Amino acid sequence: MSNIDFQQLVDRQYAALYRFALSLAKSEADAADLTQQAFFLWASKGHQLRDRSKAKSWLFTTLYREFLGRRRHEVRFPSVELDEVREEEVAISPNINAFDSATVVQALQEVEEPFRAPLTLFYLEQFSYQEIADMLAVPIGTVMSRLSRGKCLLRQRLLSKEEALGNKVVPFSSKKSGESHG
Amino acid sequence: MDNREAKFILNAYRPGGEDASDPLFAEALVQAQRDPVLARWFNESIAFDTAVTEKLCDVAVPADLRENILAGVKVTRPRRWSRPLLNWGIAAALVLMAIGGSLVWHKTRPVALAGWQNNAIGVISTIAQGESKFDFQSHSAPELVSWLATHDAPFAKKIPDRLTGLHSLGCKTFLWNGIPASVICFMRNDGGLVHLVVTTPAAQGNAGTESQPRIASQGGWTTATWRTRDAVYMVALEGSQEQLRSYLL
Repeated sequence: MSNIDFQQLVDRQYAALYRFALSLAKSEADAADLTQQAFFLWASKGHQLRDRSKAKSWLFTTLYREFLGRRRHEVRFPSVELDEVREEEVAISPNINAFDSATVVQALQEVEEPFRAPLTLFYLEQFSYQEIADMLAVPIGTVMSRLSRGKCLLRQRLLSKEEALGNKVVPFSSKKSGESHG
Repeated sequence: MDNREAKFILNAYRPGGEDASDPLFAEALVQAQRDPVLARWFNESIAFDTAVTEKLCDVAVPADLRENILAGVKVTRPRRWSRPLLNWGIAAALVLMAIGGSLVWHKTRPVALAGWQNNAIGVISTIAQGESKFDFQSHSAPELVSWLATHDAPFAKKIPDRLTGLHSLGCKTFLWNGIPASVICFMRNDGGLVHLVVTTPAAQGNAGTESQPRIASQGGWTTATWRTRDAVYMVALEGSQEQLRSYLL
């Protein structure tokens, strides 16, 4: 791959890769590091990829594996038992337009990791369930289940934040709308 | 298919409509057209997904990330201090480098070395100044080589004999114009540092590199560069040619 090709690949993918890494790693420094490492590995091993059109999914997959590898080394915590995660259908939908991007990312980061990765791939780059299954090396049914549950969990997190936000702005809103506090 | 099953499937449906012709969604989509309750849920779900996508795509990316990727300098890697003695040794060596050597480097940047060599010295300089960290630290050079090998980075098939007698400090991987390279830093007996950089022959481009070390000096740095069939090596230190030669013999 020529320098120009490499630069074009970086230009096309680095922002989305960083955002995916941020949802996984929870820290900007770690996210930047994971993104750089994915490109480093591309420079080292990317030539082995026969189908160049798959460079994008290769980078996302590599970044995810790198994240899992580091997490294994750095943190010892019990894996989330997926069946134990409560899935409650959220009847009320959060008003997502009330949040800034940082808050949405924060809510996403609060979703358990097994759900977070497919959710981010789905939202960020609009990968298909099949592509996500390939990237995460899990069956299609698992991806669909995790997307379904993950969305539910994300809504719950956002509703909690909306509640907190609402509590903070109640006095201001009330005055503005002319309501009396008695 | 009941609405619960339909919702389960439609949760994987992308809001951009890319999945409209995917048979997996066909039945659920038909049901969403028939059932007003499911239709309302589906429309709301699509709107929610679209909004989340927009919010995520608004997340700011660090201003210097692109340049760091292209320069190959991983400046944000968190510290991995784990061995007190080793750490004190590294800290002392880097302080000495920062006070003495890197000042020389910044005032007299090399101008005649090849691009990848300048980049390598730049990376070494960022380590010396604490702007970037080793990827992996060890007093054992074979351990560092092994780490590089398992991380798909260029590594020395054979470390020059005189370097194997020194304490290694750590290693770092980096890119130059998309070409991978690595550096291992060693502590010299006089308290300075000497570095072994390895990259692929692609870094040299059409410029030839000999199999015997070719020595060059500039900007306070002295380098020796040679190549094997599948790698290009550079030993670099801040000091004289005599000092460098003593690590090549």
